[in-house]
Amino acid sequence: MYGWIWRHLPGPTPVRVLEALVLALAIIALLMFVVFPWAEPLLPFNNVTTPS
Amino acid sequence: MVDRVDDEPETVRVQRPTPVPVDGPLRKAVRGFGELMITAGLVILLFVVYEVYVTDILSAEKQDEATTALDDKWNSNTVEPVDPQRQVQYDLIDGQAFAKMYIPVFGPDYHFSIVEGTTDKNLEVGPGHYIGTALPGNPGNFSVAGHRVGKGAPFNDLDLLSSCDAIVVETQTTWVVYRMLPTTGEEAGWAEGKAKNPKCAKVAPLKDLANTGASPYAKTVGQEIVTPAQGEVISPVPHFAGEVPVAQQAALMTLTTCHPRFSDKQRLIVHAVLTMSYPKANGFVPPELKEQ
Repeated sequence: MYGWIWRHLPGPTPVRVLEALVLALAIIALLMFVVFPWAEPLLPFNNVTTPS
Repeated sequence: MVDRVDDEPETVRVQRPTPVPVDGPLRKAVRGFGELMITAGLVILLFVVYEVYVTDILSAEKQDEATTALDDKWNSNTVEPVDPQRQVQYDLIDGQAFAKMYIPVFGPDYHFSIVEGTTDKNLEVGPGHYIGTALPGNPGNFSVAGHRVGKGAPFNDLDLLSSCDAIVVETQTTWVVYRMLPTTGEEAGWAEGKAKNPKCAKVAPLKDLANTGASPYAKTVGQEIVTPAQGEVISPVPHFAGEVPVAQQAALMTLTTCHPRFSDKQRLIVHAVLTMSYPKANGFVPPELKEQ
């Protein structure tokens, strides 16, 4: 998977390194701001209320 | 002769390079699986970072906004002279702050604005008031939920609160001081033991409350751990199914959070009783706020 991505990044090595970095950051941002906020209420970690 | 010399490098070049092994389907599958597992591990680690740190940052921003909005509201309302005889008026708007809470033993920087409502969205802003429970200083049970991990974690150290520790609530017109009730273990020897501490002057096991016979407050202690379904901890009289006239109800404050930390298997509950209230005045700060 990682090899496949590396082979499909265009440009010479330094450019590829930069591209890979941007890709990784984009995925982290997607997780932090979209996926985790959505998933969190579905997980049993942080319920603090009792029924009123 | 000339030909021979020219040919020599030729023969070297003709030698085949060692062939690059082509990955078989099994090798590809195993590698793909391994990479997926590593990725999943990284995602889970990242989730922990999100839960414990990133939500703190996001919530701090929301808490600041709510506090600013509350300060603006309080400041703008003081234009009218406040009539002390008038009942305290609250505008309770879902998700908006209406009071501030301080727990002096948690340090002078421990303060949170309490918002109305206890939905997930409300609790991202700060501790949330259970809709319909009593308001600060009133008879009944002023109940507040708060996160223990992440999202500002207002109730992170709730298990460290001990009996007689003050919980100070500031409303637009009043400072309200609650103190944590004796715990189950402390109730028996209360009068001879902790009651001598000056902090405990107005704190006593609630089951001794004037009532004769079985007190409705028999089960109300400082700290308890309950199952998530036990909503009776925030009833006007905790754990009591019968009716108690409002005039005879004690003014309690109840804090709820998850227990154990990082889990929602149980709830940690702290009950406190009203011991003091002061009208707000310029420059006046309740002495309880300076307790350590």
